[in-house]
Amino acid sequence: MSRIIDRGLEEQTVLIVKMGELTYETLAISIHGYLEGKSVQEQVRDLSDILVSMGEKVEDEAFQLIARFQPVATDLRTIKSYMKVGNDFVRYGRYALDICIINDQLNGLKECESWTRDYINEMSEKVLSMVRTSIDALKRQDILIAKTISSTEREVDKMYFDYLNKLINAEQANNKCVLSSALMTRYLERIADHAVYVCESIVYISTGEKVTLG
Amino acid sequence: MTSTNSTQTTTFDPEMKMQSIDLNAWFGTKQALKNVNINIKTNAVTAIIGPSGCGKSTFIRCLNRMHELTPNAKMTGQILLDGENIYDKQVDPVQVRRRVGMVFQKPNPFPTMSIYDNVAAGLRLTGTKKGKNLDEVVKRSLEQATLWDEVKDDLKKPGTSISGGQQQRLCIARAIALQPEVILMDEPCSALDPIATAKIERLVVELKRDYTVAIVTHNMQQASRVSDFTAFMYLGALIEFGPTRGIFESPKNPLTEKYITGEFG
Repeated sequence: MSRIIDRGLEEQTVLIVKMGELTYETLAISIHGYLEGKSVQEQVRDLSDILVSMGEKVEDEAFQLIARFQPVATDLRTIKSYMKVGNDFVRYGRYALDICIINDQLNGLKECESWTRDYINEMSEKVLSMVRTSIDALKRQDILIAKTISSTEREVDKMYFDYLNKLINAEQANNKCVLSSALMTRYLERIADHAVYVCESIVYISTGEKVTLG
Repeated sequence: MTSTNSTQTTTFDPEMKMQSIDLNAWFGTKQALKNVNINIKTNAVTAIIGPSGCGKSTFIRCLNRMHELTPNAKMTGQILLDGENIYDKQVDPVQVRRRVGMVFQKPNPFPTMSIYDNVAAGLRLTGTKKGKNLDEVVKRSLEQATLWDEVKDDLKKPGTSISGGQQQRLCIARAIALQPEVILMDEPCSALDPIATAKIERLVVELKRDYTVAIVTHNMQQASRVSDFTAFMYLGALIEFGPTRGIFESPKNPLTEKYITGEFG
Protein backbone atom coordinates (compact mmCIF):
# COMPACT_ATOMS: atom_id res chain seq x y z
CA MET A 1 0.00 0.00 0.00
CA SER A 2 1.50 3.33 -0.99
CA ARG A 3 1.82 6.12 1.53
CA ILE A 4 -0.12 9.39 1.26
CA ILE A 5 3.09 11.34 0.71
CA ASP A 6 4.03 9.17 -2.31
CA ARG A 7 1.57 10.90 -4.62
CA GLY A 8 2.99 14.32 -3.78
CA LEU A 9 6.55 13.06 -4.28
CA GLU A 10 5.64 11.53 -7.64
CA GLU A 11 4.11 14.83 -8.78
CA GLN A 12 7.28 16.65 -7.69
CA THR A 13 9.40 14.17 -9.66
CA VAL A 14 7.29 14.64 -12.80
CA LEU A 15 7.55 18.42 -12.43
CA ILE A 16 11.31 18.48 -11.87
CA VAL A 17 11.99 16.12 -14.80
CA LYS A 18 9.77 18.25 -17.05
CA MET A 19 11.70 21.28 -15.86
CA GLY A 20 14.96 19.51 -16.66
CA GLU A 21 13.87 18.76 -20.23
CA LEU A 22 12.76 22.37 -20.73
CA THR A 23 16.09 23.53 -19.33
CA TYR A 24 17.99 21.47 -21.88
CA GLU A 25 15.84 22.80 -24.70
CA THR A 26 16.35 26.39 -23.52
CA LEU A 27 20.12 26.02 -23.28
CA ALA A 28 20.36 24.22 -26.62
CA ILE A 29 18.38 26.96 -28.41
CA SER A 30 20.46 29.67 -26.77
CA ILE A 31 23.89 28.09 -27.36
CA HIS A 32 23.17 27.08 -30.95
CA GLY A 33 21.75 30.55 -31.61
CA TYR A 34 24.99 32.03 -30.31
CA LEU A 35 27.19 29.68 -32.34
CA GLU A 36 25.18 30.33 -35.52
CA GLY A 37 24.87 34.07 -34.89
CA LYS A 38 21.08 33.88 -34.80
CA SER A 39 18.99 36.06 -32.45
CA VAL A 40 16.78 33.89 -30.25
CA GLN A 41 16.55 36.21 -27.25
CA GLU A 42 12.76 36.57 -27.28
CA GLN A 43 12.14 32.85 -27.43
CA VAL A 44 14.72 32.11 -24.72
CA ARG A 45 13.35 34.86 -22.47
CA ASP A 46 9.89 33.23 -22.63
CA LEU A 47 11.37 29.83 -21.82
CA SER A 48 13.45 31.29 -18.99
CA ASP A 49 10.31 32.88 -17.52
CA ILE A 50 8.53 29.51 -17.67
CA LEU A 51 11.48 27.95 -15.83
CA VAL A 52 11.22 30.61 -13.10
CA SER A 53 7.50 29.82 -12.67
CA MET A 54 8.21 26.10 -12.54
CA GLY A 55 10.96 26.70 -9.97
CA GLU A 56 8.47 28.58 -7.81
CA LYS A 57 6.00 25.73 -8.14
CA VAL A 58 8.63 23.18 -7.10
CA GLU A 59 9.35 25.31 -4.03
CA ASP A 60 5.66 25.80 -3.15
CA GLU A 61 4.92 22.08 -3.47
CA ALA A 62 7.99 21.25 -1.39
CA PHE A 63 6.78 23.50 1.43
CA GLN A 64 3.35 21.86 1.22
CA LEU A 65 4.85 18.38 1.54
CA ILE A 66 7.04 19.46 4.46
CA ALA A 67 4.15 21.16 6.26
CA ARG A 68 1.68 18.33 5.73
CA PHE A 69 3.81 15.21 6.07
CA GLN A 70 6.94 16.15 8.07
CA PRO A 71 9.05 14.00 5.75
CA VAL A 72 12.22 12.28 6.91
CA ALA A 73 15.08 10.23 5.44
CA THR A 74 14.88 9.67 1.65
CA ASP A 75 11.61 11.62 1.44
CA LEU A 76 13.19 14.64 3.13
CA ARG A 77 16.37 14.42 1.07
CA THR A 78 14.32 14.19 -2.14
CA ILE A 79 12.25 17.27 -1.33
CA LYS A 80 15.27 19.28 -0.19
CA SER A 81 17.24 18.26 -3.30
CA TYR A 82 14.39 19.01 -5.71
CA MET A 83 14.24 22.54 -4.33
CA LYS A 84 17.98 22.88 -4.94
CA VAL A 85 17.81 21.29 -8.40
CA GLY A 86 14.85 23.53 -9.28
CA ASN A 87 17.06 26.49 -8.43
CA ASP A 88 19.89 25.08 -10.57
CA PHE A 89 17.47 24.80 -13.49
CA VAL A 90 16.34 28.38 -13.02
CA ARG A 91 20.01 29.41 -13.12
CA TYR A 92 20.46 27.45 -16.38
CA GLY A 93 17.60 29.49 -17.83
CA ARG A 94 19.21 32.73 -16.70
CA TYR A 95 22.57 31.80 -18.28
CA ALA A 96 20.75 30.86 -21.48
CA LEU A 97 19.27 34.35 -21.56
CA ASP A 98 22.65 35.96 -20.78
CA ILE A 99 24.14 34.10 -23.75
CA CYS A 100 21.40 35.54 -26.00
CA ILE A 101 22.11 39.04 -24.71
CA ILE A 102 25.84 38.89 -25.50
CA ASN A 103 24.99 37.35 -28.86
CA ASP A 104 22.76 40.31 -29.72
CA GLN A 105 25.00 43.01 -28.23
CA LEU A 106 28.42 41.74 -29.31
CA ASN A 107 27.57 39.96 -32.56
CA GLY A 108 28.16 36.52 -31.11
CA LEU A 109 31.37 35.13 -32.56
CA LYS A 110 31.11 36.87 -35.94
CA GLU A 111 34.15 39.02 -35.28
CA CYS A 112 36.27 36.15 -34.00
CA GLU A 113 38.76 34.00 -35.89
CA SER A 114 37.71 30.51 -36.89
CA TRP A 115 39.83 28.79 -34.22
CA THR A 116 37.87 30.68 -31.52
CA ARG A 117 34.59 29.56 -33.01
CA ASP A 118 35.85 25.96 -33.16
CA TYR A 119 37.09 26.16 -29.57
CA ILE A 120 33.81 27.50 -28.16
CA ASN A 121 31.85 25.07 -30.31
CA GLU A 122 33.76 22.18 -28.74
CA MET A 123 33.32 23.58 -25.22
CA SER A 124 29.59 24.10 -25.84
CA GLU A 125 29.11 20.50 -26.94
CA LYS A 126 30.83 19.26 -23.79
CA VAL A 127 28.67 21.48 -21.58
CA LEU A 128 25.44 20.45 -23.31
CA SER A 129 26.44 16.81 -22.87
CA MET A 130 26.95 17.48 -19.16
CA VAL A 131 23.49 19.05 -18.88
CA ARG A 132 22.07 16.01 -20.70
CA THR A 133 23.88 13.69 -18.30
CA SER A 134 22.53 15.55 -15.26
CA ILE A 135 18.95 15.36 -16.55
CA ASP A 136 19.23 11.67 -17.51
CA ALA A 137 20.69 10.84 -14.10
CA LEU A 138 17.84 12.74 -12.46
CA LYS A 139 15.18 10.97 -14.53
CA ARG A 140 16.56 7.55 -13.65
CA GLN A 141 17.77 8.48 -10.16
CA ASP A 142 21.00 6.81 -11.24
CA ILE A 143 24.07 7.64 -9.19
CA LEU A 144 26.40 5.81 -11.59
CA ILE A 145 25.39 8.12 -14.43
CA ALA A 146 25.62 11.10 -12.05
CA LYS A 147 29.19 10.25 -11.09
CA THR A 148 30.35 10.18 -14.73
CA ILE A 149 30.05 13.96 -14.86
CA SER A 150 33.31 14.64 -13.03
CA SER A 151 35.70 13.95 -15.90
CA THR A 152 33.88 16.21 -18.39
CA GLU A 153 33.68 18.94 -15.74
CA ARG A 154 37.46 18.87 -15.39
CA GLU A 155 37.83 19.15 -19.17
CA VAL A 156 35.47 22.13 -19.31
CA ASP A 157 37.31 23.86 -16.47
CA LYS A 158 40.62 23.33 -18.23
CA MET A 159 39.23 24.66 -21.49
CA TYR A 160 37.94 27.77 -19.70
CA PHE A 161 41.26 28.63 -18.05
CA ASP A 162 43.28 27.73 -21.17
CA TYR A 163 41.10 30.08 -23.19
CA LEU A 164 41.57 32.93 -20.70
CA ASN A 165 45.34 32.39 -20.94
CA LYS A 166 45.14 32.51 -24.73
CA LEU A 167 43.29 35.84 -24.51
CA ILE A 168 45.80 37.25 -22.02
CA ASN A 169 48.72 36.32 -24.26
CA ALA A 170 47.14 37.34 -27.57
CA GLU A 171 49.22 40.06 -29.34
CA GLN A 172 46.27 41.70 -31.00
CA ALA A 173 42.57 41.07 -30.56
CA ASN A 174 39.16 42.32 -31.55
CA ASN A 175 37.49 43.85 -28.48
CA LYS A 176 34.02 42.58 -29.32
CA CYS A 177 35.32 39.09 -29.90
CA VAL A 178 37.33 39.13 -26.67
CA LEU A 179 34.35 40.29 -24.61
CA SER A 180 31.86 37.99 -26.26
CA SER A 181 34.03 34.86 -26.12
CA ALA A 182 35.27 35.51 -22.57
CA LEU A 183 31.71 35.94 -21.30
CA MET A 184 30.49 32.93 -23.26
CA THR A 185 33.20 30.63 -21.89
CA ARG A 186 32.45 31.95 -18.40
CA TYR A 187 28.73 31.17 -18.77
CA LEU A 188 29.53 27.72 -20.13
CA GLU A 189 31.83 27.04 -17.20
CA ARG A 190 29.09 28.11 -14.75
CA ILE A 191 26.45 25.98 -16.53
CA ALA A 192 28.83 23.02 -16.19
CA ASP A 193 29.12 23.73 -12.46
CA HIS A 194 25.34 23.63 -12.07
CA ALA A 195 25.19 20.32 -13.97
CA VAL A 196 27.64 19.00 -11.36
CA TYR A 197 25.46 20.33 -8.51
CA VAL A 198 22.45 18.49 -9.98
CA CYS A 199 24.46 15.26 -10.06
CA GLU A 200 25.66 15.80 -6.48
CA SER A 201 22.00 16.17 -5.43
CA ILE A 202 21.15 12.84 -7.09
CA VAL A 203 23.88 11.10 -5.09
CA TYR A 204 22.62 12.79 -1.91
CA ILE A 205 19.02 11.67 -2.53
CA SER A 206 20.10 8.05 -2.98
CA THR A 207 22.80 7.72 -0.33
CA GLY A 208 22.53 10.64 2.08
CA GLU A 209 26.17 11.43 1.35
CA LYS A 210 27.15 14.97 0.46
CA VAL A 211 29.73 14.39 -2.26
CA THR A 212 31.77 16.79 -4.37
CA LEU A 213 31.87 15.72 -8.01
CA GLY A 214 33.46 18.87 -9.40
CA MET B 1 13.91 -11.38 39.02
CA THR B 2 17.49 -12.39 38.56
CA SER B 3 20.34 -10.51 37.01
CA THR B 4 23.76 -11.53 35.86
CA ASN B 5 26.66 -9.16 35.47
CA SER B 6 28.41 -9.16 32.15
CA THR B 7 32.07 -10.02 32.33
CA GLN B 8 32.89 -7.59 29.56
CA THR B 9 35.35 -4.88 30.58
CA THR B 10 34.14 -1.45 29.57
CA THR B 11 35.67 1.99 29.66
CA PHE B 12 33.62 4.55 31.50
CA ASP B 13 32.93 7.59 29.37
CA PRO B 14 32.43 10.64 31.63
CA GLU B 15 30.27 12.33 28.98
CA MET B 16 27.76 9.51 29.35
CA LYS B 17 25.39 9.64 32.27
CA MET B 18 24.16 6.11 31.63
CA GLN B 19 25.38 3.19 29.56
CA SER B 20 23.67 -0.09 28.81
CA ILE B 21 26.13 -2.85 28.12
CA ASP B 22 25.10 -6.13 26.50
CA LEU B 23 21.66 -5.72 28.00
CA ASN B 24 19.30 -8.68 27.65
CA ALA B 25 15.89 -8.90 29.29
CA TRP B 26 13.20 -11.55 29.47
CA PHE B 27 9.61 -11.89 30.62
CA GLY B 28 9.52 -15.55 31.53
CA THR B 29 10.93 -17.31 28.48
CA LYS B 30 10.17 -14.48 26.10
CA GLN B 31 13.25 -12.39 25.36
CA ALA B 32 12.37 -8.69 25.21
CA LEU B 33 15.86 -7.19 24.81
CA LYS B 34 18.81 -8.61 22.88
CA ASN B 35 22.31 -7.32 23.60
CA VAL B 36 21.34 -3.68 23.70
CA ASN B 37 24.23 -1.22 24.00
CA ILE B 38 23.18 2.42 24.27
CA ASN B 39 25.02 5.40 25.72
CA ILE B 40 22.87 8.13 27.26
CA LYS B 41 24.68 11.43 27.19
CA THR B 42 24.65 13.81 30.13
CA ASN B 43 22.34 16.84 29.79
CA ALA B 44 20.93 15.65 26.51
CA VAL B 45 17.62 14.14 25.43
CA THR B 46 17.82 10.61 24.07
CA ALA B 47 14.73 9.31 22.29
CA ILE B 48 13.95 5.62 21.94
CA ILE B 49 11.68 4.83 19.00
CA GLY B 50 10.38 1.66 17.43
CA PRO B 51 7.14 -0.22 16.73
CA SER B 52 4.99 -1.66 19.52
CA GLY B 53 6.63 -4.57 21.25
CA CYS B 54 10.17 -3.65 20.17
CA GLY B 55 11.39 -3.44 23.76
CA LYS B 56 11.71 0.32 24.18
CA SER B 57 9.67 0.51 27.40
CA THR B 58 11.44 -2.56 28.77
CA PHE B 59 14.74 -0.84 28.01
CA ILE B 60 13.99 2.28 30.04
CA ARG B 61 12.46 0.21 32.84
CA CYS B 62 15.83 -1.52 33.08
CA LEU B 63 17.49 1.88 33.48
CA ASN B 64 16.01 2.39 36.96
CA ARG B 65 15.53 -1.23 38.00
CA MET B 66 11.79 -1.20 37.46
CA HIS B 67 11.97 -4.21 35.15
CA GLU B 68 12.80 -6.40 38.15
CA LEU B 69 9.46 -5.50 39.77
CA THR B 70 7.65 -7.57 37.14
CA PRO B 71 7.13 -11.23 38.17
CA ASN B 72 9.30 -13.68 36.16
CA ALA B 73 11.36 -10.83 34.72
CA LYS B 74 15.05 -11.42 34.21
CA MET B 75 17.96 -9.45 32.80
CA THR B 76 21.63 -9.82 32.08
CA GLY B 77 24.26 -7.24 31.28
CA GLN B 78 25.09 -3.97 32.96
CA ILE B 79 23.57 -0.54 33.36
CA LEU B 80 26.15 2.03 34.34
CA LEU B 81 25.12 5.22 36.09
CA ASP B 82 28.12 7.54 36.28
CA GLY B 83 30.24 4.48 35.59
CA GLU B 84 28.79 2.29 38.36
CA ASN B 85 26.69 -0.76 37.63
CA ILE B 86 23.27 -0.17 39.19
CA TYR B 87 22.74 -3.94 39.31
CA ASP B 88 25.72 -4.54 41.61
CA LYS B 89 24.69 -6.43 44.77
CA GLN B 90 25.47 -3.57 47.15
CA VAL B 91 23.35 -1.06 45.23
CA ASP B 92 19.97 -0.16 46.75
CA PRO B 93 17.28 -0.11 44.03
CA VAL B 94 15.33 2.56 45.94
CA GLN B 95 18.35 4.86 45.75
CA VAL B 96 18.66 4.11 42.03
CA ARG B 97 15.03 5.08 41.47
CA ARG B 98 15.61 8.29 43.38
CA ARG B 99 18.50 9.20 41.09
CA VAL B 100 16.70 7.97 37.99
CA GLY B 101 13.08 9.18 38.03
CA MET B 102 10.27 8.00 35.80
CA VAL B 103 7.24 9.64 34.20
CA PHE B 104 4.66 7.27 32.77
CA GLN B 105 2.39 7.16 29.74
CA LYS B 106 -0.80 8.09 31.57
CA PRO B 107 -0.67 10.88 34.12
CA ASN B 108 -0.91 9.17 37.51
CA PRO B 109 -1.14 11.72 40.31
CA PHE B 110 -1.96 10.18 43.68
CA PRO B 111 -5.76 10.42 43.57
CA THR B 112 -6.36 11.19 47.23
CA MET B 113 -3.69 13.87 47.50
CA SER B 114 -3.72 17.59 46.78
CA ILE B 115 -1.52 19.16 44.12
CA TYR B 116 0.89 20.24 46.86
CA ASP B 117 0.99 16.83 48.49
CA ASN B 118 1.53 15.08 45.18
CA VAL B 119 4.76 17.02 44.68
CA ALA B 120 5.77 16.70 48.32
CA ALA B 121 4.99 12.98 48.65
CA GLY B 122 8.39 11.67 47.63
CA LEU B 123 10.19 14.23 49.78
CA ARG B 124 8.16 13.31 52.85
CA LEU B 125 8.97 9.66 52.29
CA THR B 126 12.65 10.50 52.19
CA GLY B 127 12.67 12.66 55.29
CA THR B 128 11.77 16.25 54.41
CA LYS B 129 8.76 16.64 56.67
CA LYS B 130 7.28 20.11 56.35
CA GLY B 131 7.92 23.81 56.60
CA LYS B 132 9.57 26.45 54.48
CA ASN B 133 12.06 24.07 52.89
CA LEU B 134 9.29 21.79 51.66
CA ASP B 135 7.28 24.76 50.38
CA GLU B 136 10.31 25.98 48.46
CA VAL B 137 10.99 22.62 46.87
CA VAL B 138 7.31 22.23 45.86
CA LYS B 139 7.28 25.74 44.35
CA ARG B 140 10.60 25.22 42.53
CA SER B 141 9.50 21.82 41.18
CA LEU B 142 6.19 23.19 39.91
CA GLU B 143 8.04 26.12 38.33
CA GLN B 144 10.49 23.81 36.61
CA ALA B 145 7.57 21.78 35.35
CA THR B 146 6.05 25.07 34.03
CA LEU B 147 2.92 24.47 36.12
CA TRP B 148 3.34 26.92 39.00
CA ASP B 149 1.55 29.87 37.37
CA GLU B 150 -1.44 27.69 36.56
CA VAL B 151 -1.90 26.06 40.00
CA LYS B 152 -0.31 28.40 42.56
CA ASP B 153 -3.75 29.45 43.89
CA ASP B 154 -5.12 25.90 43.90
CA LEU B 155 -2.42 23.93 45.68
CA LYS B 156 -4.93 22.34 48.05
CA LYS B 157 -7.19 21.08 45.29
CA PRO B 158 -6.94 17.37 44.38
CA GLY B 159 -4.18 16.46 41.94
CA THR B 160 -6.79 14.81 39.76
CA SER B 161 -8.87 18.02 39.45
CA ILE B 162 -6.62 19.57 36.82
CA SER B 163 -6.46 18.77 33.08
CA GLY B 164 -4.62 15.72 31.69
CA GLY B 165 -1.74 17.84 30.41
CA GLN B 166 -1.45 19.61 33.76
CA GLN B 167 -1.57 16.26 35.56
CA GLN B 168 1.33 15.04 33.44
CA ARG B 169 3.33 18.16 34.30
CA LEU B 170 2.40 17.56 37.94
CA CYS B 171 3.90 14.08 37.65
CA ILE B 172 7.03 15.62 36.16
CA ALA B 173 7.13 18.08 39.10
CA ARG B 174 6.78 15.12 41.47
CA ALA B 175 9.76 13.43 39.79
CA ILE B 176 11.82 16.64 39.80
CA ALA B 177 11.12 17.29 43.50
CA LEU B 178 13.41 14.41 44.41
CA GLN B 179 16.17 16.07 42.40
CA PRO B 180 16.96 13.08 40.24
CA GLU B 181 19.90 13.10 37.86
CA VAL B 182 18.06 11.30 35.06
CA ILE B 183 14.40 11.54 34.06
CA LEU B 184 12.92 8.65 32.10
CA MET B 185 9.71 9.30 30.20
CA ASP B 186 7.62 6.49 28.80
CA GLU B 187 5.42 7.98 26.08
CA PRO B 188 4.55 10.97 28.27
CA CYS B 189 2.32 12.63 25.65
CA SER B 190 0.39 9.68 24.27
CA ALA B 191 -2.70 10.51 26.32
CA LEU B 192 -2.55 14.27 25.71
CA ASP B 193 -4.03 16.69 23.17
CA PRO B 194 -1.72 18.65 20.81
CA ILE B 195 -1.55 21.78 23.00
CA ALA B 196 -0.70 19.81 26.13
CA THR B 197 1.79 17.78 24.07
CA ALA B 198 3.52 20.95 22.86
CA LYS B 199 3.88 22.14 26.47
CA ILE B 200 5.43 18.85 27.56
CA GLU B 201 7.79 18.92 24.57
CA ARG B 202 8.94 22.46 25.45
CA LEU B 203 9.42 21.27 29.01
CA VAL B 204 11.52 18.27 27.93
CA VAL B 205 13.86 20.58 26.02
CA GLU B 206 14.06 22.90 29.07
CA LEU B 207 14.73 20.02 31.46
CA LYS B 208 17.91 18.90 29.75
CA ARG B 209 19.71 21.96 31.12
CA ASP B 210 19.53 20.40 34.58
CA TYR B 211 18.83 16.73 33.93
CA THR B 212 19.61 13.91 31.56
CA VAL B 213 16.44 12.78 29.78
CA ALA B 214 15.52 9.53 28.02
CA ILE B 215 12.14 9.48 26.34
CA VAL B 216 10.25 6.62 24.74
CA THR B 217 7.91 7.83 22.04
CA HIS B 218 5.74 6.45 19.26
CA ASN B 219 5.67 9.84 17.65
CA MET B 220 8.67 10.20 15.35
CA GLN B 221 8.12 13.89 14.80
CA GLN B 222 8.23 14.28 18.55
CA ALA B 223 11.54 12.43 18.70
CA SER B 224 12.94 14.65 15.96
CA ARG B 225 11.70 17.81 17.71
CA VAL B 226 12.90 17.17 21.23
CA SER B 227 15.84 14.78 21.16
CA ASP B 228 19.56 15.12 20.56
CA PHE B 229 20.11 11.40 20.06
CA THR B 230 17.78 8.71 18.79
CA ALA B 231 17.84 4.95 19.20
CA PHE B 232 15.72 2.83 16.87
CA MET B 233 14.79 -0.58 18.26
CA TYR B 234 13.14 -3.51 16.51
CA LEU B 235 12.25 -6.95 17.88
CA GLY B 236 14.24 -6.30 21.05
CA ALA B 237 17.45 -5.28 19.27
CA LEU B 238 19.03 -1.90 18.80
CA ILE B 239 19.07 -1.32 15.05
CA GLU B 240 20.54 2.16 14.86
CA PHE B 241 21.68 4.82 17.28
CA GLY B 242 23.11 8.25 16.65
CA PRO B 243 22.50 12.00 16.56
CA THR B 244 18.82 12.64 15.83
CA ARG B 245 19.57 14.80 12.81
CA GLY B 246 21.48 11.98 11.14
CA ILE B 247 18.88 9.34 11.97
CA PHE B 248 16.05 11.38 10.47
CA GLU B 249 17.95 12.79 7.48
CA SER B 250 20.19 9.91 6.43
CA PRO B 251 19.56 6.72 8.38
CA LYS B 252 22.22 4.09 7.73
CA ASN B 253 20.06 1.01 8.20
CA PRO B 254 17.29 0.24 5.67
CA LEU B 255 15.04 -0.92 8.53
CA THR B 256 15.31 2.48 10.19
CA GLU B 257 14.51 4.16 6.87
CA LYS B 258 11.44 1.97 6.40
CA TYR B 259 10.17 2.60 9.91
CA ILE B 260 10.63 6.35 10.05
CA THR B 261 9.16 6.88 6.58
CA GLY B 262 6.08 4.90 7.60
CA GLU B 263 6.59 1.83 5.41
CA PHE B 264 6.02 -0.40 8.40
CA GLY B 265 5.28 -0.15 12.09
